[in-house]
Amino acid sequence: MSPGPIFRRLFVANRGEVAVRIARACDALGITPVFGVSEADLEAPYLAGRERVVLGPGRAALSYLDMTRVVQAAKQSRCSALHPGWGFLSENPTFAALCEQHGITFVGPPARAMALMGRKTPAKDAMRSAGLTLIPGSDGVLRDSDAALEAAERTGYPVLFKAESGGGGRGMRIARSGDEVKSAFDDARAEATAAFGDPRVYMEKLLEGGRHVEIQLMADRYGDVIHVGERDCTVQRNHQKLIEESPSPVLSESERARTLAAAVHATRSIGYVGAGTMEFLMDEQGTLRFMEMNTRLQVEHPVSEMRSGLDLMREMILVAAGHRLSVEQEQVTLRGHAIECRINAEDPNEGFRPSPGAITRFVPPTGEGVRVDTHVASGYVVPPFYDSLIAKLIVHGRDRNEAIERAIGALESFVVEGVKTTIPMHLAVLRSSEFRDSRYDTRRIPGWPTSR
Amino acid sequence: MIDGRRFVGELALIARAAENGRTELLAPRPGYFRAAPQEGALFAPGMVLGELEVLGARFRLIVPAGAQGAVVALPEGRRIARRAVQHGERLVTLDPAAVVGASASAAEQRGAAGAGLAFRAPMSGRYYAKPGPDAEPFVKVGDVIETGRTIALLEVMKTFNRVQYGGASVPERAKIVAIVPKDGDDVNGGDPILALEPA
Repeated sequence: MSPGPIFRRLFVANRGEVAVRIARACDALGITPVFGVSEADLEAPYLAGRERVVLGPGRAALSYLDMTRVVQAAKQSRCSALHPGWGFLSENPTFAALCEQHGITFVGPPARAMALMGRKTPAKDAMRSAGLTLIPGSDGVLRDSDAALEAAERTGYPVLFKAESGGGGRGMRIARSGDEVKSAFDDARAEATAAFGDPRVYMEKLLEGGRHVEIQLMADRYGDVIHVGERDCTVQRNHQKLIEESPSPVLSESERARTLAAAVHATRSIGYVGAGTMEFLMDEQGTLRFMEMNTRLQVEHPVSEMRSGLDLMREMILVAAGHRLSVEQEQVTLRGHAIECRINAEDPNEGFRPSPGAITRFVPPTGEGVRVDTHVASGYVVPPFYDSLIAKLIVHGRDRNEAIERAIGALESFVVEGVKTTIPMHLAVLRSSEFRDSRYDTRRIPGWPTSR
Repeated sequence: MIDGRRFVGELALIARAAENGRTELLAPRPGYFRAAPQEGALFAPGMVLGELEVLGARFRLIVPAGAQGAVVALPEGRRIARRAVQHGERLVTLDPAAVVGASASAAEQRGAAGAGLAFRAPMSGRYYAKPGPDAEPFVKVGDVIETGRTIALLEVMKTFNRVQYGGASVPERAKIVAIVPKDGDDVNGGDPILALEPA
């Protein structure tokens, strides 16, 4: 059932599970998806009977990450829109601009909003003026190590030096005292130059033992913005999220209401369009402090879909086609509790070592309140070129305990043979008292000893 | 990223070995394939085989090392001026065995190699009469040769190409009257290599 004018053909500039998710939304809207694929993904089951354009070889730099190949492929397959998914080129403002330049609607925010949020200092300034609480630190980029020392003394140790154009945990260094400042600052600068081609570094107070909470937002072109509640993604390993849930089991009602309102206001104030997520660090006092905004839909968006009943992918495509949001904030009702477990082809007993290869048997669980998002079927070969996510298990229950029980039941009946997965780790976490009592932070995985 | 409407760059085609010594040439990235060659056109490494248009910029498609011969199998479908192709899509097949001389007219041939027939160089390159320094030459004066017989090697852009006897303007069987170039000479495409008489 199409809600009026919309794209006829949409280019899926991604692979795997997110490509399947985008195509599902397209099918429901009556849009023909055209997949950009690498040679390594040609035989993937999700491409059977689908239109596709081969971009290049398996190495992402020569296929999914090559802007010119992707935009040309979208153009020659007569697509009027392109969905970047997450990862790859999804947060690259140059790519968004290139799409628009060639008459292809980029399903995401305008390039300028993306560029603003991609640079940490302007992003924080914009968020501060919109009323969000920040992590204390330097006023923007640090000139030299003297300025770094001055800022660190003023803020109080420990401090964290971070790359202005950073991400993914690179270009970060900790200083726990004055004599560590110079080397930490210099190292962060060197790593930022090497990784991002930008030597600029800023400083934040290092808040240890915090929790990771984020807010799902959606905006249309007419200044309307809604939030779809928060997600707690504290169970992580090296900044890689493993379990996400909503609502956060530790967030106070007053802090939730205050931050949700400020996040909606901030999103409107920067002229944002589409799906976005604001990430916060929750400090030990329970205050949410803005870290960054992800200018795309995220892996864990189904958690919010399960609670709200909204189809965020569909909403995002409609908004890009110029439609108004299908609901107002008052119509968004968040029900029950949802949990997502990321099933990766990794061996949790061997330090999460990647485990590519053939999946000989794959039988996902079914049942009340159970959803599995995946691109995998029995016989699928996990290529060695891309990330290790093979499936997402999302469960919904009336409350957190019911959701945990459903997740455990689903994981127990989830059959994946041929590669090692994170399923045993998820079971151990969900059964642990630390997880059930919410006694954990981002530093360690509850119920899963780091010594393994 | 590519910029500039009038910029003309170069891209190497991807070569894939096919049966009977043929080479398939594949598109190196998605784009519009233009100026496609005709059936029978001859190509050697380094030559330009059409163009690929990518986001408005045009790239000359270069034949890679080790691929040469005549265009034998164009892809199915209507010939159109601008065809969308994807990475790895076959654009043409080259057959080295189809590289034979005899594109010149009979009149020219009589003029060039004396009175009789001539077999001509299929392309420009360095002429080698022998497969190796210590080997016997491929053919001698007085030999009777038939279509398909290897006559010589031609070194074109550092690759060696077998020159095979045959073609529309020479008989199926012929006797070699004279061998025109000496071992190691540079020859131009169309130069006579063998003077022949029907056998």
